[in-house]
Amino acid sequence: MSSFRERAAQDIEARGEDPGVLPLMRQLVVDSHAMLSRAPADAAQRAQDARTHAVDNMARLHAEVREKLAERSIGYHRAASAEDAVAIVELLLGSAKRVAKSKSMVAEEVGLTHALRNARIDVLETDIGEYIVDVDGRGPSHITAPALHLNRARIRELLNRTGASLDTDDPEQLSRYVRDVVGDYFTRCDAAITGANAVIASSGRIAIVENEGNVALGVSHPRLHIVITGIEKVVADEAGALSVLEVLAANATAQPLTAFTHFLGEPLPGQERHVVFVDHGRSAIAADRRYRDALRCIRCGACMNTCPVYRAAGGLSFGSPYMGPIGAVISPLLWRDGRADDLPFASSLCGACTEICPVGIPLHRMLLDLRGDAVEDHRAGNRVERAAWAMWARSLGSGRRGRMAERFARIGIKAAGLAPGFGRLVGKRLPRSGARHSLDMLRASAPQAEPKPTTVPPAIPDTGLPDLFRARAGLLGVTIAEQATLQEGDRRLKATAAIASTGSVVLTGEMANRRELLAARRVVVDLDPATIVEYPHQVEPYLGDGDALILTGASRTADIEKKIVRGIHGSEELVVVMGEGEAERRGS
Amino acid sequence: MATVGLFIPCYMAVARPDDALHARRVLEALGDTVEAIDGLCCGQPAFNSGFREEARRVGRQALRAATDVDTIVVPSGSCTSMIRHYLPGLFERDRRRTADIRSRRFVEFCSYVANHPKRESLELSLPGVVAYHDSCHGRRELGITLTVKDLLGSIGELEVRTLTHEDECCGFGGTFSVKFPEVSREMSACKLADVRQTGARVLVSADLSCLLHLETAAREERLRIETWSMAEVLARALP
Ligand code: SF4
Repeated sequence: MSSFRERAAQDIEARGEDPGVLPLMRQLVVDSHAMLSRAPADAAQRAQDARTHAVDNMARLHAEVREKLAERSIGYHRAASAEDAVAIVELLLGSAKRVAKSKSMVAEEVGLTHALRNARIDVLETDIGEYIVDVDGRGPSHITAPALHLNRARIRELLNRTGASLDTDDPEQLSRYVRDVVGDYFTRCDAAITGANAVIASSGRIAIVENEGNVALGVSHPRLHIVITGIEKVVADEAGALSVLEVLAANATAQPLTAFTHFLGEPLPGQERHVVFVDHGRSAIAADRRYRDALRCIRCGACMNTCPVYRAAGGLSFGSPYMGPIGAVISPLLWRDGRADDLPFASSLCGACTEICPVGIPLHRMLLDLRGDAVEDHRAGNRVERAAWAMWARSLGSGRRGRMAERFARIGIKAAGLAPGFGRLVGKRLPRSGARHSLDMLRASAPQAEPKPTTVPPAIPDTGLPDLFRARAGLLGVTIAEQATLQEGDRRLKATAAIASTGSVVLTGEMANRRELLAARRVVVDLDPATIVEYPHQVEPYLGDGDALILTGASRTADIEKKIVRGIHGSEELVVVMGEGEAERRGS
Repeated sequence: MATVGLFIPCYMAVARPDDALHARRVLEALGDTVEAIDGLCCGQPAFNSGFREEARRVGRQALRAATDVDTIVVPSGSCTSMIRHYLPGLFERDRRRTADIRSRRFVEFCSYVANHPKRESLELSLPGVVAYHDSCHGRRELGITLTVKDLLGSIGELEVRTLTHEDECCGFGGTFSVKFPEVSREMSACKLADVRQTGARVLVSADLSCLLHLETAAREERLRIETWSMAEVLARALP
């Protein structure tokens, strides 16, 4: 089994002069930050509170959600291990032989796709990024953008290997190609598996976010929909879930909210729905005070986006479905077989992750604890390194002072190359420096390169919520109209509410019929301006108690080189009708 | 006139002993009586490598130095953060409290100078251009970025240039750079590209460890830059 160091060195070597994901990640962090600044000032705190509550009250919330799911005729299942999870899913699938799977980190974690295929079940990854990564065969390199490490040329090559004959590198064409394969599969598969971002204890609803529409197709599979998720995902209420989802969208993809935010109520007529909650070491993590908070994670990816080690080494080097700082923390805790024991050491402890994490996980401090644990349990630190540190501690910890420099240097130089840490500091490669510094160097400067002009974000209208909604929805490519003349193939819907800060509309009950929505050529939504709220968490009272769907712009993807392509499963065109015309029509 | 301890970090004593002299000069210019505390280590190298017990044994000696000195100035951001934020946690309950109290007597050099009652009396001037490297420990653990920048900004005739990606790590991370040299090198190359972009030939930081790492990397890249600690910059800016 290779180590992080070997994999990273290979990746860096193979990349050559190519900066890899660095520029994309730098940009994403800037954009996410800008997006977060539009959210209410306490959004991250709300998200953190919701997650902390979820982690600290797991048993109680599970008892509650189990009851609420039963009331909705949704199956509740609990898997202790990865094997259990696979076995339960197989059992639930019964005679189903073709399964459409959408993105789920937990499924990745338990190796679900692989295991089902071994059981002769046909599984198609329906998320565009996952589909590509599946063809590639080396696994995802980022938790929210699995195909981040592959450029468009490589993706074309991969797709052509599966029988496509694409003569273009255009992300739009490549995305559309996968969309069609997936869309076709959905017409003939026997069941769908999705993940979940939250399961709500007080209502028994399941919250899932996505951009493409493949989840919309999955959750509305006419026969069988299976949700697989971690036991830590049960949250108290919708308001908490919405704060989490808002922060998640901003960090993961610099969006106000994802295109689709699903709240699933009862199964459709004729449909069976089950939720499989996977433990796989989570209870043990929850029981350790030092690591419990890692379960707050909302898988937003911000910690890896900002991580200099992740940017330099690439996601595949972590050798785990969870990469970057959160991966380095939870991988060794989930897999206790030693496969990830070197990951906590793969950090310069710069703390950028801790700083950015929206739910306040002290990631770099956990890495330090994990290092200490690994050394204590003899899972890290070989005999030579142990001896070197012991010698070092004897010398510097004796309490005798004086002549320290020499003493340290002697040990240091002996230990250089043996015990990490000393080589660079006092080894041969670092002669005494500084003595030759001259004032001339202060005057030898060249002019500084011109800074890149920063784009100024459009001004925020402060003339009321309808104007804010118009502006924000407009940025997402939504057409706002006073009236709309219906055309052939249009689907006209009535919104229950809208969210101004994110430009979203809320559809509930019958209006949330996903398959009809996706089939429409154009979606036209009537909105009563009086029902507009400012922020996502305020929309809770408008969500009804059954199915709800929040639309934020049109179906889209950014899975190829982070280029946005609109209109994946579902219309490119979303029209919101509000204002005078709407009011008159309702009055008549 | 206050008597202060000057903690000389182990790596500074070995790699750049002049910096200890620079720091002493600055403190004396402020009118302090300086007692050098040499021959100790905060324990960070072992701690970051997972060797907690070894780090505790070594760090304990550093804390003992604070038994009868009220203020110990530490010209290294990362040692300060180790002592104040992590070292006390290595002790058991009752000893932890003592360790915690003692650890708070350790003050990072730049913040000490910046908040010194006689700071205004220093007439600092140094003609030239420098680029400023913000260390991760200074920025995130100690929160002294603005303090250091203000201090630099108060030096007459000195132009301070900012890195575009100031918040990014230089790739040192102590033993990290030895355990993962390929990744560390990528990170320092990034940082050096940013330094080069400023056009400055002198890179300044409150953390000598970052500077020594970058100096090694710059030499490997045959880049003509010098790295100066804040202690050196301030000392040379004295009349
Ligand atoms: S640890 Fe924090 S920053 Fe990283 S993915 Fe989880 S929630 Fe996001």
